[in-house]
Amino acid sequence: MGEVAIHVLCKRYDGSSDFAVKGVTLTVTDGEFMVLLGPSGCGKSSVLRMIAGLEPITSGTVAIDGRIMNAVPAKDRDIAMVFQSYALYPHMDVFNNLAFGLRRRGVARPDIERRVNAVAVQLGLDPYLKRKPHALSGGQRQRVALGRAIVREPKVFLFDEPLSNLDAALRLTTRNELIRQQREIGITAIYVTHDQLEAMTMGHRICIMDKGEVVQIGAPLEVYRNPANTFVAKFLGSPPMNLLPVSTDAGPDGYRFSLGGTTWSANAWVAEKLGALGGQALIGIRPEDLFEVSPRPGDARVVPLPAATVAAVEALGAETLVVLTLEGVTQEVIARVGRETKLRPGDAAAFLVDTVAMHVFDTTTTQSIPRRRD
Amino acid sequence: MNAGPMVTPARLWLAYLRRSPLLVFVLLYTVVSGGPFVWVAAMSLRTTPEIFASPYALPAPLHFEKFADAWTRSNYGTYFWNSTIVVVTAVALLTIIGAMVAHALARFHFRGNRLVRFVILSGMILPPQLVILSLFQILVELQLYNTLTGLIVVYVAGHLAMTVYILEGFFAQIPQDLFDAARLDGYSDLEIFWRITLPIGTPALFTTVTLNFIILWNEFLYAVVLLTDDDKRTLPLGIMHFMGSHQLDIGMLATGLMIAIGPIILLYAFFSETMIKGMTAGAVR
Repeated sequence: MGEVAIHVLCKRYDGSSDFAVKGVTLTVTDGEFMVLLGPSGCGKSSVLRMIAGLEPITSGTVAIDGRIMNAVPAKDRDIAMVFQSYALYPHMDVFNNLAFGLRRRGVARPDIERRVNAVAVQLGLDPYLKRKPHALSGGQRQRVALGRAIVREPKVFLFDEPLSNLDAALRLTTRNELIRQQREIGITAIYVTHDQLEAMTMGHRICIMDKGEVVQIGAPLEVYRNPANTFVAKFLGSPPMNLLPVSTDAGPDGYRFSLGGTTWSANAWVAEKLGALGGQALIGIRPEDLFEVSPRPGDARVVPLPAATVAAVEALGAETLVVLTLEGVTQEVIARVGRETKLRPGDAAAFLVDTVAMHVFDTTTTQSIPRRRD
Repeated sequence: MNAGPMVTPARLWLAYLRRSPLLVFVLLYTVVSGGPFVWVAAMSLRTTPEIFASPYALPAPLHFEKFADAWTRSNYGTYFWNSTIVVVTAVALLTIIGAMVAHALARFHFRGNRLVRFVILSGMILPPQLVILSLFQILVELQLYNTLTGLIVVYVAGHLAMTVYILEGFFAQIPQDLFDAARLDGYSDLEIFWRITLPIGTPALFTTVTLNFIILWNEFLYAVVLLTDDDKRTLPLGIMHFMGSHQLDIGMLATGLMIAIGPIILLYAFFSETMIKGMTAGAVR
């Protein structure tokens, strides 16, 4: 068992008037891989450190398997943590790094040897047991850090951006290794990162944080497809969602959006809340929902954008990003198109948008307006 | 055809000439710093009449028996033993207490942290001459005057500031994550100090041990004021013993000096590299 329940957790550091964490409430079920995602300074690491017991809690509670942990010292919480810097003890070899925590817990020497050797074999570290950390590569160090957490057989794993010191290729393989290990062992894991790719690929669920608050919690694709507000819309996805200010008005056939010189009927996909927006809204379009040719010919929900001029073309190999300037719109728009595109900077282009995938946000509150589900 | 310039004798001479100012400087520096040592070493193997007859002559014959004389007849054995007790105890205490204080100051951000640091480090500002009378009075009242224990206490108190200063600078560079990892591994603050801080801080500890040993082994002022009995004197006082008001046994004085600096030379020979590493740690990342 290893259910972590956080209730209205707050953190204010000494000498600061602002709260770094503001009322975070979150439950991570047993065996779940939860990712805390957000930009630097959003409070995600503070939450992790409070769960670990490394940081005092200002208010709120942290409970593991129903037991409130606020007053329980870090060493008694049965939690293992993998740090960004790996935090390997530089004066100990790999064996002793792995065995350090077990010794303190009074595990018998033969058991320590058996468990350390088993984990070393599992992670491919057995040839390096006598090496000191400075004689290991970045990937090997990362595996030792992971091994140190696994060998303890804790209730909960905490990961504080453990892949950020690795190069791109190693990050990919280690990420897959981490996912495989967690799924195999089945221990609850809470993983902090600012990398949306890690969050999307690793977590059963993502908890997106901003300015010390939880903005949205959900499965990766659910959050990607239904962002709760403009922050999530822009934070998830690379390149981020295009957010364009539009005016709304009530036409003879219902509400309409106007972008540049183009007007669309809003009734097809947005609920009746548009009337409360005061004539202004933000529409959000993912770069992959813009097309040179309609994906569903004849579908009235695929509508044209205002006339566009290509400002830049970025060929990424597998795909191409096209930066567009729309007539009557100050903001540039990015479209993701196939690698075979013939568009070049300066070309005139006519792009279509799939309104089924379009999002509408309140300009004032930045919150998403629910789409009609039909 | 040669790809690079020809190495001709003229070019070699030019290269020597360019480097000659540096070579001259290094040579002069070696003579100035090493000369007195060689001279004292030579005198330690000669008798006083021989020295007065020809101060700069090389020792011939070599009077090694002077070392045995100094050790037995001139009470050098007692002085050496006293110095060893005082300095080894003081250095051990300084290292343990200093490391604990430095660990606390570097790791814990408690209320009054800066004030404690200021109070401890301000000890470095005061010259010994300024505090020696008060120390004398305090030791008399505590009945520690004219005792080796009293001198040890004064040495520890007097050198704690420098020890903490050097160690704190080093300990502060040990990443916080290591301490957090050890806490999660189940270790208490004291265990973390013994198992993490001290092993990782070994270069800095060697630095303070070597520095404190050299300084305290040569310390004269506190020892001369706070010790009076001959059988409690340390080596620097013992050496002074040969400098009477009316006569100067310069041959024996040189032999005494060689005995006194022996441990320092040994210590420096073994630990100088570690000491320099410790002192420059963190200067370049």
